[in-house]
Amino acid sequence: MKIGIISFAHMHAAGYASALMQIEGVELVGIADPVAERGQKYAAQFGTSYFQSYEDLLAQGLDGVVVTSENAYHKEHVLAAAKAGVHVLCEKPLSTNVKDAQAMIEACRAHGVLLQTAFPVRFNSSVRRAKQLVDEGKLGRILAMKGTNRGRNPGGWFVEPSLSGGGAVIDHTVHVADIMRWMTGAEVKEVYAEVDHLIAETPIDDCGMLSLEFDNGVFATLDCSWSRNKTYPVWGDVTLEIIGSAGTLTLNAINQKLNVYRDEQGYSHHFWGDDMDLALVRDFVSSIASGASEASVTGEDGLQALAVAVAAYRSDERKDTVSMTDVLA
Amino acid sequence: MLHVLVIGAGTMGSVHAEAYKNMPGVKLVGIADLQADKAALLAAHCECRAFTSYDQALGQLGSEHIDVIDICLPTPLHKSYVLRAADDGKDVICEKPLAGSLADARLMIDYCKQKGVRLFVGQVLRFFPEYQNAKALLDRGAIGSPAVIRAARGGSYPVGWNDWYSDTSASGGVIVDALIHDFDYLRWCFGEVERVFAKSLHGRVQAQLDYALVTLRFQSGVIAHIEGTWAHEGFFMQLEMAGTSGVIDYDSSKDTPLIMRDRGQRPGSRAGVPVPESPLEPSPYARELAHFVSCIQDGSEPLVTAEDAWEALRISLAALESARTGRPVTLNDAARSTSG
Ligand SMILES: NC(=O)c1ccc[n+]([C@@H]2O[C@H](COP(=O)([O-])OP(=O)(O)OC[C@H]3O[C@@H](n4cnc5c(N)ncnc54)[C@H](O)[C@@H]3O)[C@@H](O)[C@H]2O)c1
Repeated sequence: MKIGIISFAHMHAAGYASALMQIEGVELVGIADPVAERGQKYAAQFGTSYFQSYEDLLAQGLDGVVVTSENAYHKEHVLAAAKAGVHVLCEKPLSTNVKDAQAMIEACRAHGVLLQTAFPVRFNSSVRRAKQLVDEGKLGRILAMKGTNRGRNPGGWFVEPSLSGGGAVIDHTVHVADIMRWMTGAEVKEVYAEVDHLIAETPIDDCGMLSLEFDNGVFATLDCSWSRNKTYPVWGDVTLEIIGSAGTLTLNAINQKLNVYRDEQGYSHHFWGDDMDLALVRDFVSSIASGASEASVTGEDGLQALAVAVAAYRSDERKDTVSMTDVLA
Repeated sequence: MLHVLVIGAGTMGSVHAEAYKNMPGVKLVGIADLQADKAALLAAHCECRAFTSYDQALGQLGSEHIDVIDICLPTPLHKSYVLRAADDGKDVICEKPLAGSLADARLMIDYCKQKGVRLFVGQVLRFFPEYQNAKALLDRGAIGSPAVIRAARGGSYPVGWNDWYSDTSASGGVIVDALIHDFDYLRWCFGEVERVFAKSLHGRVQAQLDYALVTLRFQSGVIAHIEGTWAHEGFFMQLEMAGTSGVIDYDSSKDTPLIMRDRGQRPGSRAGVPVPESPLEPSPYARELAHFVSCIQDGSEPLVTAEDAWEALRISLAALESARTGRPVTLNDAARSTSG
């Protein structure tokens, strides 16, 4: 199976590339990147070809492509892949706005290619186990949820809204919003958010606190702030507290760790759990191989999660709740 | 020597009585509870007299032999007993929340002023050393300028006399009864609140469960998230302050020096329940009460005033309103403290 990668702008590209190398029967055909230095470096590192233009890469008879460009370029790259008949795994957030995301979904459908949104957290073993417990009814009915996906400010293009679409809110809302939708099987109905720029020197939203109302009466909050400082022992977190009628569940997806204390670096966490990027890429590859008609995590999933982030920005502007129907219209 | 009468021998009455028992400069003269056996048991332990009502205590002890009334009654009873104590010319220490409504709380504050008695409210979180130290670090600039704050508090559904906690109109549920601690503490740290948004289980489920998630936006810009739960097992409280250059966090269930686990082999013992403790001499409650006593003795202002308690109640009630309406509630400065 022939897979390519468009752009190493997003640091997750390296994780996906090394995942691809580990999967039997998969050939990493090439890396396209407009930044020649970056593209050549990673092409050399992963022993594959470098392409200046993504059109040339897409002309190599690919089965699938991973799109890890800046958020603002997702649309262009996904549309080109769809046109070339190549299945797509697109980095989250699916796009910078609802319209483009809808166009991407439409194009992939029209050309009969899979569009999978890269939500690796769905493939985290602890998250999967939590989903299983929920599905078995161990918590009874889900009543409320409290999630966090904090991190460090990544800098670079992430803090340039013309490329990223926004800061912490668009970057970090989507993972856990997606997990909450998945756990409950319900859609977000209404969003309230306090959003601000309180930490970084660059003016970008780096603090966000969302409140969500689901269409089945469940409520939740989600902290998506880039509030982890330099010496925090880990890059961030992915947590979810679920309050059920029969019990509660406390999930900390990256809490499979060693505590490491080093004279030079201080205290840090060393993660030893399963590689969720590998599981994600494996899933994408197997969907292609089996000729699946839909990806396991769809473009629609990516759109819904993105719409929550968009609603959060709008809510903060209005200082009021925002209905998801308005955002998705 | 200050003579203190404690009204209510429940959970808090016991904590307060125990604290007075060993407090220099204080004589615990009596405990009144309408459950005679409960009052008697606690009074015996604290070596003071037991009564079945406030009136009986005043009658038998002689009003002139009482200086302070400490009210540890269910919240809906706070008002009438604060007013009675003020009528009797006694300084008052009252458990939080001061009252169930802002109008009642205002009336109680004004009434005590009129009668020339002092009113202290048990917003005890300001006396917990972990919370005091977090504030001290914050004030020293340890995390730079504060940005996103997370606090949490809760455990299992509280059990009280006559099941009064489960009547939300009486207790205010987890938002008023429990989160008022965090609201007061956060206001102490970050100043006035601009906007409140909240969601809670109240009105959504029939079961004896309460759970609330509240977002506060401070005038300073700080964003705070507060979780209150009566849907978990075992008490815990958490605090995290993230700023421009650092993070402080605390979790009472993890940062605890002592955990007892019973194997359940002795008669009457329960197996498997870890019982964490954080021994402090004196306890935060005793520190709070000793502070109030010293304020009465020297006429000084307390670390937490009745006005602070009113403000904390205001935030709690705004959160309740937001949870009910589904909309954010803006607190306006004009209503602050003066009007009733
Ligand atoms: N500061 C804190 O951390 C904290 C913790 C728990 C409770 N509280 C507050 O303390 C107050 C009391 O709560 P609690 O948990 O101790 O309640 P509780 O139900 O355990 O005790 C109340 C007691 O009052 C007695 N009582 C009722 N009516 C009476 C009357 N008219 N005269 C005399 N006694 C009467 C009852 O018999 C009972 O023993 C509440 O306002 C609560 O919100 C504060």
